[in-house]
Amino acid sequence: MTDAPQDPSAAPEDLPKDLPEATSRRLAELEHGLFTSDLSVNEFLLIKEVGFHPLGLVMGSSIYHTGIQTRKWGQSQELTKLTEAMYNARELAMTRMEEEADQLGADGVVGVRLDVNYYEWGKDAAEFIAVGTAVKAESGVSHRNALGKPFTSDLSGQDFWTLMQTGYIPQGLVMGTCVYHIAHRGLGQTLGSAGQNVELPNFTQALYEAREMAMTRMQDEADRLEASGIVGVRLEEKSHQWGSHTIEFLSLGTAVTKTSDEVTLPVPTTIISLDN
Amino acid sequence: MPDAPADLPEAASRRFESRAFTSGLTVPDFAACLQSGLRPVGFVQGFCVMQWSWYGMGSPYNRGLSPYGGGGGYSETYQCPHGYVSAEHRSWGRNYEQSWVEQAWSQGFGLAYGRMLEEATAVGAHGVIGVIDTSDRLSDLGVVEFHVRGTAVTVDGVPAPRGGQPWTTYLAGQRLTKLVEAGYAPVSVAAAVASVRVWAYCITEYLLGGGGSAWGGQQSSAEVTQVAAARTAARQLAREHVRAQLGGDSLHGAEMVVSEREVGEGDQEIQCLLRGNRVRRFKEFDPVAVPHPTVRLS
Repeated sequence: MTDAPQDPSAAPEDLPKDLPEATSRRLAELEHGLFTSDLSVNEFLLIKEVGFHPLGLVMGSSIYHTGIQTRKWGQSQELTKLTEAMYNARELAMTRMEEEADQLGADGVVGVRLDVNYYEWGKDAAEFIAVGTAVKAESGVSHRNALGKPFTSDLSGQDFWTLMQTGYIPQGLVMGTCVYHIAHRGLGQTLGSAGQNVELPNFTQALYEAREMAMTRMQDEADRLEASGIVGVRLEEKSHQWGSHTIEFLSLGTAVTKTSDEVTLPVPTTIISLDN
Repeated sequence: MPDAPADLPEAASRRFESRAFTSGLTVPDFAACLQSGLRPVGFVQGFCVMQWSWYGMGSPYNRGLSPYGGGGGYSETYQCPHGYVSAEHRSWGRNYEQSWVEQAWSQGFGLAYGRMLEEATAVGAHGVIGVIDTSDRLSDLGVVEFHVRGTAVTVDGVPAPRGGQPWTTYLAGQRLTKLVEAGYAPVSVAAAVASVRVWAYCITEYLLGGGGSAWGGQQSSAEVTQVAAARTAARQLAREHVRAQLGGDSLHGAEMVVSEREVGEGDQEIQCLLRGNRVRRFKEFDPVAVPHPTVRLS
């Protein structure tokens, strides 16, 4: 990109090469002031209230072939190939969404949804899709993250407003994933512990390790964004199409940093609703 | 983290070395937490995978046992009024407490909970808020995983804890703030399971099978007394188990979940999970500000 002032009609040429042509037409229209968003009216008003304006609905998608990896029947292990696939595919979808947002000159993307779809036509292939609403500060002050990219977050308009009141701003949707194969139990082991209440330390450790790895990776992402914390951490478990012994542990959250300005939280008012 | 407990997985101690805090709180709960002077330091968790002795030889999990043998705890025998009918006729039935299931549950929950506390201690937390506990069956029969997690917090202006266990609560956000404002401090979560087994006798079997009129005569609606008694007992036992954990404190925001599992014709297993927050009064009740009435225009 050049530093020269941009003529809006020239914008499509600057688009990253890997966005489809339809995107450039759509984004060019958005640059003329029309905006699209999937925000509800209340969310829209709250985002305006904290000084942001929606620019447009942005998305990124990646159809990814997840390979297969041999597993040992009786051994718990991370399936690094699958972990990598799940990671890369989401990363691609997110990056493309960020590129769209970048093209609109956005400061960030709110309400990001990260989904995985499977289609009948593509066995072993999955579509990873990220959709959100790009927003820009009306004051002109940049709110981009430490990497100079628009921030991303899965916060709703209400959550975004509340977070801004606490003096934190979102830096990015961070995630970590770990695909893990849980060992089958041998007949001897099963018989050996029949009739007893016992902890199965191998299983405990395997599941513990897998989740901790997912969370560590999420925190590494937050560290890269120089975030001071992650809010709304969720741990999800999915078996996708791999059978019950192979599980993806996904941890997701919004990395936030504290702004320098001193914040005093408004004291909430107690109310009683007279509606039914 | 030099003083991290030795049996935490390596990944956990690596995770806690990171600069950034993690919190499992939603944004409104996060804001309320900062408001009331709590600072999240880390998302903490504990796990335990347990083998349950569902089909163990030693357990009276077997209809052939004598109806009068008791395994301790609640037990009730039902005698058939019909006299000898046939070899298949269930001339007796029994409800009894499955204390070994209750023990397995509390052992699994306790280990997972203890590991969460270790993580919380390792990050120097005063307490853990927004605790969530789940237990899921893994694919192998009779293997259950317990997962307890929450957000570890420190209290502003209070020196770092030296020894002692962090306090814990299922509450977070405004619900916790309101409780504290009302003069109660969270002590710990309290949870227990009661498990009651129902071996149906003939009348229960026929009533559950929808055949009440065949044996009971004319009436078409009747109480299934054996099952009603088992459910009542399960609820009562769960309450007793939790009360035993309270040590004189109060239980706040209790939640009771009753589930049942069919084991055979008319035979079932009733599980009652009771969980709540153990709280202690630390100051005089201080009513919140008079609420402002509002009307929604939408």
